[in-house]
Amino acid sequence: MIQFDRVSKTYPSGAGPVTALHDVSLQIAPGEFVALIGPSGCGKSTLMRLIGDLEQPTTGVVSVGGKTPEQARRDRDYGIVFQAPVLYEWRTIRKNVELPLEIMGRPAVQRRARSQSLLQLVGLSDFGDAYPHQLSGGMQQRAAIARALSFEPSILLMDEPFGALDEITRERLQLELLSIWSSAAERPTVIFVTHSIPEAVFLADRVVVMSPRPGRVQRIITIDLPRPRNFETREAARFFSLVTEVREQLRITEALNMEH
Amino acid sequence: MAEETLVPDRRRTNATPVRAFPIRELLRTGARRVTPVLLTVLIILVFWEVSKWLFAIPDQRLPSLGALVEAMFTRTQGGAGPLLIIQMLLNAWATFKVAAGGFLIGGLLGFGLALLFTQAPPLERGFLPYVIGSQTVPILAIAPMVVVGLGRMGAEPWVAKMIVAAYLTFFPVTIGMLRGLRAASPLSRDLMHSYAAGPLQTFWKLRLPVSLPYLFTALKVAASASVIGAIVAELPAGSREGIGVMILNAAQFYNSRPPALYLAILVAGLLGVAAYSLVALAERLVLGARYGHEPR
Repeated sequence: MIQFDRVSKTYPSGAGPVTALHDVSLQIAPGEFVALIGPSGCGKSTLMRLIGDLEQPTTGVVSVGGKTPEQARRDRDYGIVFQAPVLYEWRTIRKNVELPLEIMGRPAVQRRARSQSLLQLVGLSDFGDAYPHQLSGGMQQRAAIARALSFEPSILLMDEPFGALDEITRERLQLELLSIWSSAAERPTVIFVTHSIPEAVFLADRVVVMSPRPGRVQRIITIDLPRPRNFETREAARFFSLVTEVREQLRITEALNMEH
Repeated sequence: MAEETLVPDRRRTNATPVRAFPIRELLRTGARRVTPVLLTVLIILVFWEVSKWLFAIPDQRLPSLGALVEAMFTRTQGGAGPLLIIQMLLNAWATFKVAAGGFLIGGLLGFGLALLFTQAPPLERGFLPYVIGSQTVPILAIAPMVVVGLGRMGAEPWVAKMIVAAYLTFFPVTIGMLRGLRAASPLSRDLMHSYAAGPLQTFWKLRLPVSLPYLFTALKVAASASVIGAIVAELPAGSREGIGVMILNAAQFYNSRPPALYLAILVAGLLGVAAYSLVALAERLVLGARYGHEPR
């Protein structure tokens, strides 16, 4: 269980302190797939980074399975995927996927076996010895996902992981992500930050709609689309009505914001 | 996910193809690289002779190319010594050894200082002004102090020369590495943080590899600087070998034998180019795979 209890986050800036998150309370169940959506500046990335101990809250408490985020990080509970693949350019794809295992001191044989099966999982078995610059953006992002999965973290933090990809690649990777997630022996909890309404609805169990300045949780919409989800899900009437619901919520958010 | 949907991107197809005997390929790329060099040399030579003829420059001020070649193959010491060009190259080799030693010492010192400064920023604020100041003092003023001073203390002459070469070498390396060791992107550092990597692991697996392109750029500057340092250290009276000594000697006899000075300058220049090229070669070997083409 990931828990936010009245969490606020303020950054200092030249023009005085900026409130990125204001009084956020939120609970995420183990194994749940939660999408965070909202306009720029709504603090959705900050929320994700607070869970991952990449930022510290100004007030309030974040707890991750009863632990502090720092303890959870030290216990290697997090796999992170950013919008950019952030592959280390001097390492082959295989060595990039093995990087976390290397740091955790796993033996070479075990690393090799793990990277082999992960590269297969994300469809890159033929590219283990290639360098990142030799791969397309979509392939690089697949490698980044494989790297995040390498040590089987219980929580997957994804910050607009498909944001820089074209629509076709993007929809394919969404399907792949769902199939990887649902086939895991123990489903990781996924926190998925996105700008895309259909993406949020297609992937998540719950969509958290956030509003900007200061960032706060506006509404949480439960996505009751059946799983496994596939190409047909995107054409279902229920899918469209949920997309519309999220869109309208975002519009209300925007209108509220204009009044301020 | 099906294999055929994987469309490798353009850059992959541009990667160097591996063939059994790419001799023709090698010859072609070789020709492509050498041709501009040869053409440039040719243009300079033509320009040299044409301007000599056009402006009627006497041999005293600009020797003809023929005179240069003739001087190359003249025996030194009134006919008893080796050919002049051989003597020049032997002396250049002596200078090269000093420069290489100074390059190594200066490189390590520069690297160490950058490491120290990035680990302890207050030290950077305290000491960097002196590091910069050290480079604004003309090396011509420092070299005699070091060479003569150490000579009085009984040190071998090459020790002092190497120190002068190192003095010019460490600075670009320090500045380059200060930048390089801080060049890791915030996200790449976040990744290390999320794996709970220790400071040493972050250094070896992230900060050091990120800094290497910066290091090599700095080392290229340092390579030429180390040659200059070695030559300048040979100028104070008492040195017996090195291309710096050859330059001094040739300058003294410039009125009677102008070609010798031109030759000495030419050899000194080639020495700098050779030093630079060695670093560039090392860079290609170390960083080549990372980019799939030679770094510029």
